[in-house]
Amino acid sequence: MTNILDDYALMSPLRHRNNWLKLAIVFFGLLAGVSSTSPITPLFIALCMSFATVGLGNTPIKLYFKLLLAPMGFAVIGVLIIAFFSGSGPEMLAFELLGYPLSIRTDGFELALLVLSRSISGMCCLYFLALSTPMIELFAVLKASRLPESLIELSMLIYRYIFVFLDMAICIRYAQTVRLGYSNFKRSINSLGMLASTLFIRSWEQGDKLFLAMNSRCYDGKMTLFEVHRPVKASELLLTSAYFLSTLALFYFTKNISIV
Amino acid sequence: MIILETRGLKYTYPDGTAAVQDLNIEIKKGKKVAFVGQNGSGKSTLFLLLNGTLKPAEGEVLFHGVPFKYDSKSLREIRKSVGIVFQNSDDQIFAPTVYQDVAFGPANLGYPKERVDVCVHHALEQVGLSRLKDKPPHHLSGGQKKRVAIAGIMAMEPEVIILDEPLSNLDPVGADEIIDLLNEFNQFGSTIIISTHDVDLAYRWSDYVYIMSNSKLIGQGTPAEVFKEQELLKKAGLRQPTTLEIYHEIERRGLAYGRNSPKTIPELVSTLKPLDLMWVDVPPRVREGDSLNIGVMYGEYATQSPYEAINATVLHIHPGGRAIVELKRKGIKAGGVLLYDTDSYSLEEVNQILKEGEFVFVGAMGKKSKTLAEQDGIHLDVTSGVIDKSILMALCGKRCLILTAGGMVDHALKRIKDYVDKSGIEFTVGVVNRENGCQWIEDADKNPEALKI
Repeated sequence: MTNILDDYALMSPLRHRNNWLKLAIVFFGLLAGVSSTSPITPLFIALCMSFATVGLGNTPIKLYFKLLLAPMGFAVIGVLIIAFFSGSGPEMLAFELLGYPLSIRTDGFELALLVLSRSISGMCCLYFLALSTPMIELFAVLKASRLPESLIELSMLIYRYIFVFLDMAICIRYAQTVRLGYSNFKRSINSLGMLASTLFIRSWEQGDKLFLAMNSRCYDGKMTLFEVHRPVKASELLLTSAYFLSTLALFYFTKNISIV
Repeated sequence: MIILETRGLKYTYPDGTAAVQDLNIEIKKGKKVAFVGQNGSGKSTLFLLLNGTLKPAEGEVLFHGVPFKYDSKSLREIRKSVGIVFQNSDDQIFAPTVYQDVAFGPANLGYPKERVDVCVHHALEQVGLSRLKDKPPHHLSGGQKKRVAIAGIMAMEPEVIILDEPLSNLDPVGADEIIDLLNEFNQFGSTIIISTHDVDLAYRWSDYVYIMSNSKLIGQGTPAEVFKEQELLKKAGLRQPTTLEIYHEIERRGLAYGRNSPKTIPELVSTLKPLDLMWVDVPPRVREGDSLNIGVMYGEYATQSPYEAINATVLHIHPGGRAIVELKRKGIKAGGVLLYDTDSYSLEEVNQILKEGEFVFVGAMGKKSKTLAEQDGIHLDVTSGVIDKSILMALCGKRCLILTAGGMVDHALKRIKDYVDKSGIEFTVGVVNRENGCQWIEDADKNPEALKI
């Protein structure tokens, strides 16, 4: 049953650490990465976050790289365009493609490198959050951030029933497949329509049953959320501060550095 | 002490169909009660009535002798005291983690946080899931989900726990765990009510059984009383519990002491009679292991059929010509099975056969034959597993008539012949309406021995 990110997050040992600490680390990483003027700081952040996700969070390294690959593809395309079409200064590389002159200039290259490193650091930070903090931990955070109670309750119920309906949809799809419901395009469209309508009716019924189930346990219009108290340990605080300080130091010393 | 009681309870669905009619039950405190009936017999609706979720159209439900009131404060009290576990755990578990789901009930009762925590931990410990308290429900197996659902109810510390089909969709081990759990709660004083269509479970587990059929209560009593009544079971669309059925067959063969209702296999084994041993005087040259022909016995010595030829094996020879022998009985007037082909059917003929042939056991195979029998009011003793049951009856010296048609006649004939070939036990088999009239009965009256296959 490990096919979505949430499942990996549930299994991660980092799940049981303080949520606020994790959020602070992520936000710090995002801000420092974006505001850095040299590509070195963001790369350092990406390295630290990747280590935390894979080394401390026990995420399979293969999966982690696969996950990075998808957004990386977009980033690389964007970066190539920046490198070729922006900037001034001396030419580093020039060639002709089908009669068009193409060249990379130092400025453009530096900018491209910075954009690439920033986007990598941002991705790594967000993956750290996604792979160490499952949705069920975030409900407490949502509550503490003073979102309306009913919104949180709804999101809790929705989260639970996503999986019930996912199972249901998989079962229906399977039942359709074994009876050749997806054998050609027209039938696939037809089957998909039936699947959607059945799911709608089932979710309607499920709503009735849910109300019954909640009522029979004395539901009085509010669901209490129990936050698990997880104090920040000294070692965690120490490691985080070391990370913050070294990032800030790196940030300061590489302020005016240029790679080329 | 009666904890839950209903008087003249009636509930009708909005579309006008009656779900529960004229129901009077009294559930005693600390008992294990089972409601048995086919799907759609009204069990689930009754449970929702007992929990105050549905309001009856007529009649009333009483808890500790006080009628239910349907204002929100009284309902809270009732729902705290009478917990209900639904058939499908996914309908019941709605919170994102196990802990939160179990905590839902106690939190709604307005307990302070610490007390909720104690309740949840206690309940999860009882069902053995403390380890999984932070898991989301979709990571649990079916049995674990069921236990979470039960823990969610247990955390509210109800006096009565109602479970709708608690063992459906569980593997045997998971089912045993749930049953152990229910027994444990019962030991601590909870009253447990379940619904099931598993007669074996109801027979083995419960203290008291209610049989429901078509939204009505058609029988009640201790499991031993209720499951003895074949007619009642047939009416409810149920069968006898397997252990009881086996016991009756063994008893009929004189191998077990009568008038018992064994619920488990060991109980069944303890009803078994020791081997038939007897002291006899033997001629001088007989050795141990020899066979002796003792002769024909009748009356109380013949346990299986009116007359029995008895052979004996000598087990031990005592000085002075006395020996211990093991008896081997062989019924002389064995029973038989007659197949009646309903392709050409006449009520008159069947009635005549039934009257003249001393048939004590009538069965029907196939929808057509069953419908015919029902139309013409022929009493059927059995409608499922007909061939097996007829063979069993024939072995006890009874005569059976099977109403069936077409290819099933050959099928039945073949099954019975196979049985005779394999077991070496002979009894008569015949087909009416196929070949030359009612051959078997005429022959049987003249000479029973001539009718071997």
